[in-house]
Amino acid sequence: MTLLEAAAALRRREISSAELTAAALQRIERLNPSTNAMQTVMAESARERARRADEELARGEGRGPLHGIPIAVKDLFRTKGVRTTGGSKLFEDYVPDYDATVVEWLREGGAVLIGKTGMHELAYGITSSNPHFGAVRNPWDRDRIPGGSSGGSGAAVAAGMVSMAMGSDTGGSIRIPAAFCGVVGLKPTYGRVTRFGAMPLAFTLDHMGPLTRSVRDAAAVLNCIAGYDAGDETSSRRPVENYVPDVEPSIRGLRIGFPENFYFERLDPDVDAAVRAAFNAAASRGAEIVPLRVPDIAAINTVARVILLAEASALMEPHLERRDQFGADVLALLDQGRFLPATDYINAQRLRRAMQCEFARLWSHVDCLFTPTTPVTAPRIGETTVSVGSETEDVRLAATRLVRAINPLGLPAVSIPCGTDRRSLPIGLQIVGPPFAEALILRVAQALVPAEVPVPPL
Amino acid sequence: MSNHRNNDCNTVCNTVCNKDWKKIAHANGLAIPDAALEPIARTLDALAADFRPLARALPPETEPAIAFHAALHAASEDAE
Repeated sequence: MTLLEAAAALRRREISSAELTAAALQRIERLNPSTNAMQTVMAESARERARRADEELARGEGRGPLHGIPIAVKDLFRTKGVRTTGGSKLFEDYVPDYDATVVEWLREGGAVLIGKTGMHELAYGITSSNPHFGAVRNPWDRDRIPGGSSGGSGAAVAAGMVSMAMGSDTGGSIRIPAAFCGVVGLKPTYGRVTRFGAMPLAFTLDHMGPLTRSVRDAAAVLNCIAGYDAGDETSSRRPVENYVPDVEPSIRGLRIGFPENFYFERLDPDVDAAVRAAFNAAASRGAEIVPLRVPDIAAINTVARVILLAEASALMEPHLERRDQFGADVLALLDQGRFLPATDYINAQRLRRAMQCEFARLWSHVDCLFTPTTPVTAPRIGETTVSVGSETEDVRLAATRLVRAINPLGLPAVSIPCGTDRRSLPIGLQIVGPPFAEALILRVAQALVPAEVPVPPL
Repeated sequence: MSNHRNNDCNTVCNTVCNKDWKKIAHANGLAIPDAALEPIARTLDALAADFRPLARALPPETEPAIAFHAALHAASEDAE
């Protein structure tokens, strides 16, 4: 059941929040041992919130579509009185005394927070094979990674534990698990959703957004969490729209960019075929497919890596003498960042501005852009390289290759399921739009995906 | 970018890419064991090789954004 279907059933009194919450807790109890999607389960407080939600709904005090719906958040969103680890041993006993603004706004919308999802250590990686809290496993094949860093959120939603889990995205960390787990993942425009109270990885690249079982669910969540927050000086004062698209929206006449360079190089053939089929599906609904050359994405990826390495290492510098507290992959990245001179960081931010201007010119030719989300489907746990055609590529670089550049550009992007490969693993389509065009990319996404994503055999 | 400029970049790159990371770590007081330096040295060299030509091609008038905004035209709006 999607979030909006559950909300409709609650309004019709066909089901109660207490029943929804009990069902979610049962499913977590059954499936978490094999997926490790949920790091902390808040059963007692969730039951109490659900009871209160039912009372409010009975009094006619509905707070919106999230009221009474069980949800989860990645374990880097601070939760008052509930441990928040950021996937790190450093913070294994950290209990915040306040909620992240996103958590606060979700609670105000009536959502029932049922737990915190597992993640890659410090959100600094894409496998979610966490050395301190265990590997999160992909519900489609438990020998495979769910992607990351929001791997627990992707796995929890795919497994049907919750209909929505919040994630964060610094270089693809919402969109990669969405693609690998076959769910919808929305990275809004930088500034559209406040970062306040979420443990940072890289201040100028971090974005917060939902993973859901339908496009309309992601939009409904965005309606709740978008908006200005004084706690985050980069949050935008731009008015919040209604982002929820019609059930069957029109995309007739929309210009969809088909990148002739970069994005279709070095792809698994099944991914290539599925994404090309998405273009055909859009064309059959009246959209105009516009072939075009995109700016140098490899260069933007390089700039993004410099910014990420520098910002993440600056943040973690006070902890880096405690080397035994870090997993090997994260420690290697943090060490690399310490070698970057300040001039590189400044120049990366200058290049970012230049590239942002260059990319902005694209939007006079097209309304949005389709690309694959990842060049391959979910790799096996423990694999450090993947084969793409005749080439071998580092897993992390391959998984982030098509999504990373969107973070320094700050553009909104959504990953939606667009078929499966020869092993029945999900494939993701990335739809990228101009700044603050969330409503547009969600409308296009809704036109292309089924009302609810497929459920893995569990 | 012209060939002449590419050659310049390659020259610069060749000089900066062959850094002795061990000495740099010691000089900067970074407590990183030598064994941990070896695997990251190749990555750092490769990143420098990709990044230096981009940085050198920057026009001098390009400034970094003090606070990043996704939409340049939204920057003034956000500041209001």
